[in-house]
Formats: sequence, structure tokens, C-alpha cells
Amino acid sequence: MMPTTSCVSPTLMTEADFASRCNSHRGYLLRVAVLQLRDNDLAEDVVQDTLLAALQGAKGFSGRSSLKTWLTGILKHKIVDAIRRKSREPAFASLDEECQLEDFDALFDEAGHWENPPANWGNPESHLSRQQFFDVMQFCLEKLPPNTARVFMMREVMELESDEICKELTITSTNLWVILYRARVALRQCLEQNWFAQAGRTT
Amino acid sequence: MGRLISCKDASRAISQMQDGNVPFPLYLRIRLHLLWCEACKRFEQQVRFLHRAMQRYRQ
Repeated sequence: MMPTTSCVSPTLMTEADFASRCNSHRGYLLRVAVLQLRDNDLAEDVVQDTLLAALQGAKGFSGRSSLKTWLTGILKHKIVDAIRRKSREPAFASLDEECQLEDFDALFDEAGHWENPPANWGNPESHLSRQQFFDVMQFCLEKLPPNTARVFMMREVMELESDEICKELTITSTNLWVILYRARVALRQCLEQNWFAQAGRTT
Repeated sequence: MGRLISCKDASRAISQMQDGNVPFPLYLRIRLHLLWCEACKRFEQQVRFLHRAMQRYRQ
């Protein structure tokens, strides 16, 4: 008799398999959590909590999205909860100092022109398949001021809408825009210096 | 429609456009600015690229 070819559906996956597959994303989840929370212990707790919730809610994983996407969705809620709890503590650095528009003055001359105009990055898309590019990106994200990194990740990685972020952090939309602008300007500059300008990637 | 917009104001508004709507008159002034300002055009492209890079980072 011919052996039947194995085609295991996600529902037939054993609990242990599922647990180990979830666990294989722990490193990524932790990286995201640390960047947003800037607190290793808290990030560990949040990731632990996420993995537990994933195992308990394994039935909710339909296999339609990738496991990583599904886990990131759970992590998002856990991080927002943690930020909400943390923002009630006095130790949470005030967002105000990262909302100052004057900080951008040095980028422009008195007429409002760029002091150092953005360089031509050529075809940046072609770098997205390189792991080293993302190592530099990680380095640049870590260099951002803590609240700036947190807000940028909420917006661009967790894809929260602007008004959700404003509500969670009780900031005005103007403050939110200034912080996101700060993040983009800083990341752009950092990537240009540490990636695109290297080895003549700019033209 | 008011005066021409500076790179300083344009770049800020370009970032803001990623996160929600800007008032229509401002939007028009940015589009106009981008017609002739190579530096801000690059800034806009790079801000969009950052968005795609972060999507990839998540995967």
C-alpha cells in the first residue's frame, strides 16, 4: 500500500508543536516589546503573558494569517495595557520634552531650507531583503528617545490609528505629529549615515 | 491660497500626511511645493519607504 502523504492541518497540530512554534518567535516579540517599553523586565513579562495567552487561545489561530502576525496582534494589546499602567506611574518620562518643535530648527536655515538635503537613496526597496539593513534599522530605532520610539512603534509596527495613540497616551494630535515627525527625521538621518551613505549607496 | 510653504513646514506636513488628513489648502501647498523641491520630494519618498520597511520589519 502506498503511504499517504502527510498534510497536517493546523487543527491537527499537537499542543506541544504549537507551543514550540510560538516560542520560536519569542526573540522577535521581545525585540519589539523592549523597543516600545524600554524596560527589559517589563518586556519579558509582556512577552511571557503574550505566549501564555496564545497557548490558551490557540483555537483563535485560524492559520489565515501567519503565526507571527497573530502573535504580534496579541502582543500589541499586552503592550498597550502595559503602557497604560506605566503611564500612571510618575517615573514614566514626560512626553513634553520630546514634543518641542524648536529641536528641528538646526535642520533648516533661516529661510526654512534644508541645511543638509536628504540624499538620493537610489532604489531603497532592493535593501529590504537584506538582514544587515534591518540590523542597522534596529540600531537606529534604539537610538531614538524612549517616548519617540514607543510612539513610532505604536504607529508603524502595531499600526494603531493616530486617535487611538492619542487616547492611550493622553496627548494631543499636534504632539503626536511632532513626535512622529521627530522619529522619521531621526530614522531617515540615521539610515542615511549608517547604511545608505556606506559603500556609495547614495548617488 | 497664501504664501509658498518652506521646506521646514512642508517636511512636517509630509510626515503628518502619513498619520491622517491635513487641511486641503495645506495639502495643495505641499503638492505645489513638491513639484519643484527635489529635497522634499526625497523626504516624502523616504518617509514612505520607512513605512514599508517597518512593515517588513514586523514580518
